[in-house]
Amino acid sequence: MAGLSLRSVKKSFGDVEVVHGVDLEIVDREFVVFVGPSGCGKSTLLRMIAGLEDITAGEIAIDGRVVNELDPKDRDIAMVFQDYALYPHMTVFENMAFSLRYRGIERGEIRRRVDEAARILDIEPYIARMPRQLSGGQRQRVAMGRAIVRDPKVFLFDEPLSNLDAKLRVQMRTEIKRLRERVATTTIYVTHDQVEAMTLADRIVILNHGRIEQIGTPEDVYDRPASTFVAGFIGAPPMNLLPATALPAERLSGARRPPQDLLVGVRPEHLVWAAGETPLIEGNASVVEPLGSDTLVSLDVAGQALVVRLPPRIVRRRGEAVRLTADPANLHFFDRTTGIRQTQ
Amino acid sequence: MRRSPGSPAHWPRHVIMIVVCFLMLVPFYWVIKTSLTGENIYAWPPRIIPVDPHLFNYVDVWYMIPFARYLLNSVIVTAMAIAGSLLFNVAAGYALTRHFPGRRWIVVLLLSCMLIPFQATIIPAYLVTSWLGVLDTWLGVALPLLSTIICIFIFKASFEAVPPSLIDAARVDGLGEWRIVTRILLPLSKSAIATNVILTFIWSWNSFLWPLIAIRSPDMQTLPLGLARFLSVMEDTTGALFAFVVLVLIPGLAIFLMAQKEFIRGLTSGATKG
Repeated sequence: MAGLSLRSVKKSFGDVEVVHGVDLEIVDREFVVFVGPSGCGKSTLLRMIAGLEDITAGEIAIDGRVVNELDPKDRDIAMVFQDYALYPHMTVFENMAFSLRYRGIERGEIRRRVDEAARILDIEPYIARMPRQLSGGQRQRVAMGRAIVRDPKVFLFDEPLSNLDAKLRVQMRTEIKRLRERVATTTIYVTHDQVEAMTLADRIVILNHGRIEQIGTPEDVYDRPASTFVAGFIGAPPMNLLPATALPAERLSGARRPPQDLLVGVRPEHLVWAAGETPLIEGNASVVEPLGSDTLVSLDVAGQALVVRLPPRIVRRRGEAVRLTADPANLHFFDRTTGIRQTQ
Repeated sequence: MRRSPGSPAHWPRHVIMIVVCFLMLVPFYWVIKTSLTGENIYAWPPRIIPVDPHLFNYVDVWYMIPFARYLLNSVIVTAMAIAGSLLFNVAAGYALTRHFPGRRWIVVLLLSCMLIPFQATIIPAYLVTSWLGVLDTWLGVALPLLSTIICIFIFKASFEAVPPSLIDAARVDGLGEWRIVTRILLPLSKSAIATNVILTFIWSWNSFLWPLIAIRSPDMQTLPLGLARFLSVMEDTTGALFAFVVLVLIPGLAIFLMAQKEFIRGLTSGATKG
């Protein structure tokens, strides 16, 4: 078990810098998720931690020891890959035992560890099979088993569920969550799926263009997004952002402070149906998407698209009038130029 | 709709293929038939079915020249060429899948070297072999085939077809470069290995010009040189000559038939996706 530190870590491919000085402290047994859109540098960062990519500048330390110059095998990490990366010419047992054989661990101990991991992951019946004889979900479990048997200081997951279909992904997500309770090891998990990030993480690191946009618990990043990027990335559907102008209170008394251009953010679920009261927003539904448990309604407000999550059957058809209000406590304010969150 | 191979629409294709196969196999049949009968190949009308077949020509070949010695030399030289070419071609092929400065220029250099015929390099090859002191030895005969550019590229293509994540996984699992090649890449490159083995075998087994230059001693001669010597000492030996040819052909045919599936897959790997 160990913590992990990234200090001003940079990565360049030729003249192009793709990771611009990342600083991050991960404590022992913490489950941290790197999330961001394609090309944001999250997988590159993970590969640098694994030792599969050289670091252009900065320092990476695992359990207090700087590992910049160490080979992947000497970093005491285990990694689960997006495409499972199981050796196709070896059985499930051989795949799981492979790394242990190269570490001088005796046969009895290898057998014990593999059996234990197979039991935890419920893959005991497949232990003698070849990877091609397994389903996607089973292969992913074997890939996790291969990491578990190593008993490493840090687990690294590189989009492990992205090759699975939607149903299996949800199932495997739950399994990873359950596995986490049993194998409490420091973990870094890379995904572009914000639902995976929200459901699995102790802390989420949101990356954009090779920079950290925000670090926080799932509640933090959802309730207090640090920027319009985070507000748009975390939450599905994303937060509505509407242009607004803030008039300072002094203006009323004649002071000369200029008005501030802002973006007001409100999540679709924080806009509520204005039953009797005066609506804050009024419009006509342009798209109605009934989901069963609730309904997503899109409407145009002063040329801006707005999405709202309403209880089922309040709005049924396109064109129906929509009357909405919101609690001011649920509004978020961002600078319109920089996209940075403004204190209320 | 896809038609089954046995459907009438496929018959013309089958007839053409049978005729082509027949035309290609006739020379082999004729060589075997003549080796068993010794009849004049210019006899007219030619006999399709051998009359009074016998193995005397094979006995003649075995005892009239040191056939066993030629065979041993050919086997040793070919084994050395195959072992060496596997080692060096695998190493070079793997190196070319890695990123290093000047890699593109090395690839271009190797490709352009493929355009130079071996005959044009024979004097420098002789000088190098002489400088190494291995003229008139098995190693000297095998030397030019210890690495071949086409096989380097076959291994390169085969290694590049292995998902990079497998190599990453092997690195995380603790394998060094050589073990990644031997434990991960080679078991997944059987087609490339089979192709390398067959091509090197054929080139080495049939090689005539280089052994003729590199070998002085009669005891070091390989089968193709032995065939030339056999022609010079024997006259009117059509049957024995063809028996010699059959004996030379058998090992090559056996190796090709054993590995043809992997061989064809190796030559076409990378041609299609997946």
